[in-house]
Amino acid sequence: MVWKIFLFLLLAFVSVAGISFPIVENPQTWYQFPLIPGLEENAKIIFFHVPTAWLTVIGFLISTIYSIKYLRKKNLDDDTKSYVAAQLGLIFCILATVTGAVWAKFAWGSYWSWDPRQTSIFALMLIYGAWFALRSSIESEEKKAALSAVYSILAFVTVPFFVFIMPRIMDGLHPGSADDKFTPSGGPVVNFKMNSNMLLIFFLSLIAFTILFYWMWNIGYRSLLIKEKLNKKIIRG
Amino acid sequence: MEGFYNFLISNAIFIVMIIVLIVWIGIFTFLYNLDKRLKGIEKEIKGDKHEK
Amino acid sequence: MKPFALFKKDYHSELRTRYAINSLAMFIIVALSVILFSIGNEKVPQNLTGGLLWVVIFFSAMSGLSRAFVSEEDRGTTLLLQLIAKPSTIFNGKLLFNLILVFLMNIVITLLYSALFEEFIIRNIILFLSTFFLANIGLAVASTIIAAIISKAGAKGTLYPVLSFPILLPLILISVMLTSYSMLGTSFDQALVEIMVLVCYDIIMLTASYMLFDFIWKD
Repeated sequence: MVWKIFLFLLLAFVSVAGISFPIVENPQTWYQFPLIPGLEENAKIIFFHVPTAWLTVIGFLISTIYSIKYLRKKNLDDDTKSYVAAQLGLIFCILATVTGAVWAKFAWGSYWSWDPRQTSIFALMLIYGAWFALRSSIESEEKKAALSAVYSILAFVTVPFFVFIMPRIMDGLHPGSADDKFTPSGGPVVNFKMNSNMLLIFFLSLIAFTILFYWMWNIGYRSLLIKEKLNKKIIRG
Repeated sequence: MEGFYNFLISNAIFIVMIIVLIVWIGIFTFLYNLDKRLKGIEKEIKGDKHEK
Repeated sequence: MKPFALFKKDYHSELRTRYAINSLAMFIIVALSVILFSIGNEKVPQNLTGGLLWVVIFFSAMSGLSRAFVSEEDRGTTLLLQLIAKPSTIFNGKLLFNLILVFLMNIVITLLYSALFEEFIIRNIILFLSTFFLANIGLAVASTIIAAIISKAGAKGTLYPVLSFPILLPLILISVMLTSYSMLGTSFDQALVEIMVLVCYDIIMLTASYMLFDFIWKD
């Protein structure tokens, strides 16, 4: 109960701060963001776009964790949890791709330019798509759970290549790329030209979206578990 | 009131902010009610088990 | 020696029908001629030929490599294999068969390709050969484990490229990069990071496959 109100206030604060705090050249007070040359007001996307990409990976992580759990204990409830996490992950993956593409048209000049991070979010979308295609092709519940669990683990071990390695060794437009002028040698994404209050609100936004994801996932799998329970009851008569 | 209205007209970003806040309140209320309804259903199913 | 016996059995049954070899050979010819037709008399930029090589390799692999497990399922011999051998033995045998098939296939493709495309000139042979070697291992491992998943699932033919592509994407992207490096004549030391990424990919795929194959094979 308390954490729901906390989430409400946190995300409300993040949207107020992220949208309305002014961007000025020399920030004086705590509610002013620094000016990033070439981006100006466009820089505010970081509070809403990056969390969706983050949730894509988190959704995949949770899905894989419950896949491993399923392979160990063979409990079909774990498969349901993994399924719901992947479903939410796919939704946020599409959101990240679309918001990124719309933004890129105005900041970089084209909707899609095969920047390494665009490639990696596209690969994640392909993985999710392949995963759901595999699930729909198998009839028996246990077989479906086992094979999709194996595939999601197999796909998960390739994710570090997309998320961490490729963007750093290939040339790109996102911060942290191999040819980034601001952070030579391809440092982590966050320390590009952000001052401390921008960073703080960015991390608050990540936390708020993660809690939101947890809540949606929780509601999703609880309703599916109830559905399965009712199905069993009807079969037993 | 007049001053606030004029302020909003000259600073369109605050209108965006208010709209986003309203959308977020809507989504939050929906999720909250859904959670409550689910809790009710879960309780009902558990109650059925005890009757048997 | 058991994996080798399994390999020999696959080898003999392959020699009897020549299904995989024939379809692979035809597929390579078809794919290369489609590319040649579509190019016509145009001059192709050099770095495009490096990418096209991997397109041909990927789709040829997708056409032939799923046979390893699907053929067992088709003949109904899966149960017998489960009885007489451990899962790791079976995986070793199938992997050996696919490795040899991939190497044969890719050597043929590369030789044909360099004969047909004048622009495809490799300036750093050692870099290209090491890329070729590492990429083939990765391709064989990933395609073997996905063939095992496919053989247990319902839709066998169409799902194979769909499932393989995201898994193979890092391998293909890095291989395309390394091929263009070796066409530009970059020295081996400069491309060391990319080579190490390829090595990592092979090792990760191999360990994950060995750990996960039990779960696919048991039910």
